[in-house]
Amino acid sequence: MDIEQKQAELIDHFVKQASAQKGSALGSVIVEATSHPSLFAFSEILAVPTVAELEGTDNSLYLEVLRLFAHGTWSDYKSNSGSFPQLVPDQVLKLKQLTVLTLAETNKVLPYDQLMLELDVSNVRELEDFLINECMYVGIVRGKLDQLRRCFEVQFAAGRDLRPGQLGSMIQTLSNWLATSDNLLISIQEKIKWADTMSELDKKHRKEVEDRVEDVKKSLSLKKLHTVIRPMLTSEGLRRSTVNLVE
Amino acid sequence: MASSSSSGLTFKLHALVIVNISDHYTRVKSQMNPPLTSTSSTSTVNNNSSNGMEHHQQAPRVYGCVIGVQRGRTVEIFNSFELLCDPSTHSLDRSFLEKKQELYKKVFPHFYILGWYSTGSDAEESDMHIHKALMDINESPLYVLLNPAINHAQKDLPVTIYESELHVIDGIPQLIFVRSSYTIETVEAERISVDHVAHLKPSDGGSAATQLAAHLTGIHSAIKMLNSRIRVLHHYLVGMQKGDIPCENSLLRQVSSLLRRLPAIESEKFQDDFLMEYNDTLLITYLAMFTNCSSKMNEVVDKFNTAYDRHSRRGGRTAFI
Repeated sequence: MDIEQKQAELIDHFVKQASAQKGSALGSVIVEATSHPSLFAFSEILAVPTVAELEGTDNSLYLEVLRLFAHGTWSDYKSNSGSFPQLVPDQVLKLKQLTVLTLAETNKVLPYDQLMLELDVSNVRELEDFLINECMYVGIVRGKLDQLRRCFEVQFAAGRDLRPGQLGSMIQTLSNWLATSDNLLISIQEKIKWADTMSELDKKHRKEVEDRVEDVKKSLSLKKLHTVIRPMLTSEGLRRSTVNLVE
Repeated sequence: MASSSSSGLTFKLHALVIVNISDHYTRVKSQMNPPLTSTSSTSTVNNNSSNGMEHHQQAPRVYGCVIGVQRGRTVEIFNSFELLCDPSTHSLDRSFLEKKQELYKKVFPHFYILGWYSTGSDAEESDMHIHKALMDINESPLYVLLNPAINHAQKDLPVTIYESELHVIDGIPQLIFVRSSYTIETVEAERISVDHVAHLKPSDGGSAATQLAAHLTGIHSAIKMLNSRIRVLHHYLVGMQKGDIPCENSLLRQVSSLLRRLPAIESEKFQDDFLMEYNDTLLITYLAMFTNCSSKMNEVVDKFNTAYDRHSRRGGRTAFI
């Protein structure tokens, strides 16, 4: 959430710049935006009408670059490097950061091998440095590095720009979440009712037992009046012990 | 009499102050009521007057001072203490106030008297006298009012903070009370005690069922709040999809990052740990039950033996075991 706040001013600044200029001048604005170290959101710039006009013109390459940064990954760039202009090192770094975000979208646990493949990094040390310095210190990702199991557990990842189809799946996830929590609420209520009924039953049972003890006591005390002293002692003892029994 | 304040001061009220005021009020109320009920039941002659008095004292007004710190435009009210008010002259006990002020200054050198508090449903004219009396300690004192009437329908706290402003009414400049908004601040210690009060268990220690019910009710209300908030988000996204609301990308990004954190607990490792802990708890409960049962059996056998032992001494049956 803090990343959004940090980015908000930058986004405004670039949107203003983009709407003020046209054509090839936009190209430099786009390059500047994509190399900026704290900017990860590009859909606002994409939405500016002057940028959309670039489509189909000579400068459509820049539009493609912007789209790549908004939705694509490093492997997309590598496979179609012909259709994109040469990227400066800042842009390369940014694209790799965005790739990590995309990977975090699908899995929560990212194995090092997959990361190394996607990011074109050959050894674990470099990968970990990249993750720690470029991703975690910037604040776009939070998680734990597990070197023994060679994976990266993502706890939080900043959001990338949305593809048009993603809104539907987000709504679906939200409604699933809602349904699950509704069910949970119902089952908690049932559990509370169950606990109450069980305690009611228990109290009733106790009361029944105590009533029976009272009855036995009364019947024995009646017997007491009809017996001699010695037997009285034994029945007295028996009565006391039966009382203790049903305690 | 109360409109909204325009002084631009932001107020932060600590939970301790609210607890203090309500404690003061409850104490005074409970100390006053029992003696009155006993006298009114014995004599009928005094019934009317004591009934009248009882009615007045059913809702006693308590008074006190609030202290805190003012830094720039932020006023933070940390603590409060009680004061005696003379009902006939409607003035506060000055010497007591000054003594208390000195004592508090020694312990908290940074705290100043920021104003005073009282209980009741609305600010009254007579309160202005006390307010003006305090104006020589603090040029613009605050008046914190707590409404002790319990209203289940009301969602906010029944606490209002009034400031005094000089308004021209009918050509005469007068001081009137104006309401100000405030926020609640808590320190860690305050949060713990408020949490403790909120989770009061039934005082008889309850049966296991009532404790379980209380715990589950807490969880239930927490999940309900979460549920309502997710519903709002859901509604908002559906509206965005239909096109009723313009797309706000920043929000969408935040929602997508939030949703990425789900499912929060589905990995295999979690299942293993969870099942292990579940089984451990069940085992321990089982073991405790076993121990209980065997000790009870032991007692039963002992008593049975004792009972039939006596019988055998009188030449009756032999022991059971």
